[in-house]
Amino acid sequence: MPDTELERLYDDHAQALFAFLLNFMRDESDTRDLLQEIFVKLARQPELLHGARDERGFLLRLAHNAAIDLMRRRGVRGKYHEQFGAEMVSIFAPAGNPDEEAFRAALTTALAELPEEQRAVVHLKLWEGRTFEQIADALSISPNTAASRYRYGLDKLRERLRPVYDEL
Amino acid sequence: MTAKIKTATLIERRYKNMDDFEKQLQRQSLRKVPGEWRVEILREGRRISVPEFNDANRPFLGKFLSTLNRKLSTFFWPHPKAWAGLAVIWIAILFMNVYTRDSRPVLAKQTEAPSPQVQLVMEQQRRLFNELLGPTTALEADRPKIILRQPRSEMRRETAMA
Repeated sequence: MPDTELERLYDDHAQALFAFLLNFMRDESDTRDLLQEIFVKLARQPELLHGARDERGFLLRLAHNAAIDLMRRRGVRGKYHEQFGAEMVSIFAPAGNPDEEAFRAALTTALAELPEEQRAVVHLKLWEGRTFEQIADALSISPNTAASRYRYGLDKLRERLRPVYDEL
Repeated sequence: MTAKIKTATLIERRYKNMDDFEKQLQRQSLRKVPGEWRVEILREGRRISVPEFNDANRPFLGKFLSTLNRKLSTFFWPHPKAWAGLAVIWIAILFMNVYTRDSRPVLAKQTEAPSPQVQLVMEQQRRLFNELLGPTTALEADRPKIILRQPRSEMRRETAMA
């Protein structure tokens, strides 16, 4: 793959993939490894993108699959790692005022408490603006499943964040 | 396919209007990807893609090895540690096989020409055996005639007399 094309792909999609992977994995080092794995894969097999109508959707799917593979490889060790590391990583930028900062901290914790599959759907819906059909494609589930996971995830967040949200 | 799209559209319509809470979540700005990652990741990507870029200039063997490497990498990727473990086991088995192999030379190589004494004893036994069996025509016929070396002139005389 030509260098300029790889750079273009990185500039267009790395931010979205980074945020998604960081929210999904809750670990910066894993996110770094997975992001590199994706771009190395693209450099090695440029033909992967040839048939993709929705480049971002394809890359999100690639990222999700890579993350699932990594978690499976880790097995039990990964679960402990996730439990202890869940509240350490924030996917949000530092806020300008204390109230917003408190909300982001609470949101980070609440997101970490969601099951991965709900967290993935919530992330793609809220911060990627994907439709349920696009989410379903990216995560290899049905649109109905995507919608119900979003609803459950959002309800849990709402419940968990109500005290902080009401203060805003 | 149409039904699927219809369902998806209905779901989208149901969730189209986000409430304030969702909008509040959406407003939270996400962390930026660390700037130094770009250089590192793209460098790694370039390192991988360079051989492919010069594909046309490389000899056939180079292309073949590159393709083989790519295919094998793809094949081995899901569980590289498992494959590496298997390779170690194979090497260990090979090593044990070589190490425990009988290093003594084979019997055929070990045998040497019998000593003159042994040859003498064997000759005596053969003669004794022949005496016990008695002369056989077949054996005599099979045995090559021994032509003693004579001067050529005498050989010619014998032929003339015959």
